[in-house]
Amino acid sequence: MHTQDSEVVPVPAWPFSLVVFSCGGCWSVTAKMLRNLLALRQIGQRTISTASRRHFKNKVPEKQKLFQEDDEIPLYLKGGVADALLYRATMILTVGGTAYAIYELAVASFPKKQE
Amino acid sequence: MTHQSHAYHMVKPSPWPLTGALSALLMTSGLAMWFHFHSMTLLMLGLLTNTLTMYQWWRDVTRESTYQGHHTPPVQKGLRYGMILFITSEVFFFAGFFWAFYHSSLAPTPQLGGHWPPTGITPLNPLEVPLLNTSVLLASGVSITWAHHSLMENNRNQMIQALLITILLGLYFTLLQASEYFEAPFTISDGIYGSTFFVATGFHGLHVIIGSTFLTICFIRQLMFHFTSKHHFGFEAAAWYWHFVDVVWLFLYVSIYWWGS
Repeated sequence: MHTQDSEVVPVPAWPFSLVVFSCGGCWSVTAKMLRNLLALRQIGQRTISTASRRHFKNKVPEKQKLFQEDDEIPLYLKGGVADALLYRATMILTVGGTAYAIYELAVASFPKKQE
Repeated sequence: MTHQSHAYHMVKPSPWPLTGALSALLMTSGLAMWFHFHSMTLLMLGLLTNTLTMYQWWRDVTRESTYQGHHTPPVQKGLRYGMILFITSEVFFFAGFFWAFYHSSLAPTPQLGGHWPPTGITPLNPLEVPLLNTSVLLASGVSITWAHHSLMENNRNQMIQALLITILLGLYFTLLQASEYFEAPFTISDGIYGSTFFVATGFHGLHVIIGSTFLTICFIRQLMFHFTSKHHFGFEAAAWYWHFVDVVWLFLYVSIYWWGS
């Protein structure tokens, strides 16, 4: 179903509020909190390198905006050019492959007689 | 244009059911070409198009849920029922192979020597690699539960850590089992023992690979912030599937490896 106007239809905010708090802009706060937590717990638990956290930014809100655009583009093409290329490749391979399978069936149906 | 006045998801038209059906045609006719005409082209084409279909279909499900918000509570309930029914169908799939095993092993024919394991078969020692495999899968069941609880408690790093451990244990199992297959003193063509052993454990191994793949997708989605502490059904489905794979192994171990030796 499409909305009348072009505003982004938000999904319920509460499941994502926790995600937003741990987004890329708040890593220093999160890191400080985590260090304090670990110190308190006094267990010999090691976290894996914190470097991995800096590689991933939360891009879900951007994606939500992109895929909720009221532009009539079907979902399987809405991601961009890569979608179209992948779709085209899949269609060509499946339909072409089906034609090839029917051809092989025809060949197999009429075996060459030995002279 | 009107908004929907219900909480259900009326899915938009998609090309993937068609490409999926065509890929199934290519895989099956490809098998026939491979068996009878020594050509693997159709089969490879079928496997490729099947993979492309699965990738794009499930990519679209993620788009519908995480990005468009279509997975409301009633929709999620339906997905839960669906996953439970699918796993139940897989239970029946394995039940058939266990039936075959017990049919032959409970009443071994005179041709086998009247006993099980049959004459000429040296079974694998259940207390060696098979027991290690059992501990690996049981441990992975613990780690995936840890991952789930971390996710529900909004502990991102621990969830990633625990899920990674689960996936690595799954890979370890697969490598160990592959090595066992290579080293085994009997083959699939060694009578009914070989057939029941390799078909049952082989299909189980395939399910371990499928489960590991599902978990890896969940791992990537967790890195990309798709899951929330309250809404993460994709992960739960993967966890259910993984526990199912673990339980099947326990039945295999007790029946074929232990009792069957």
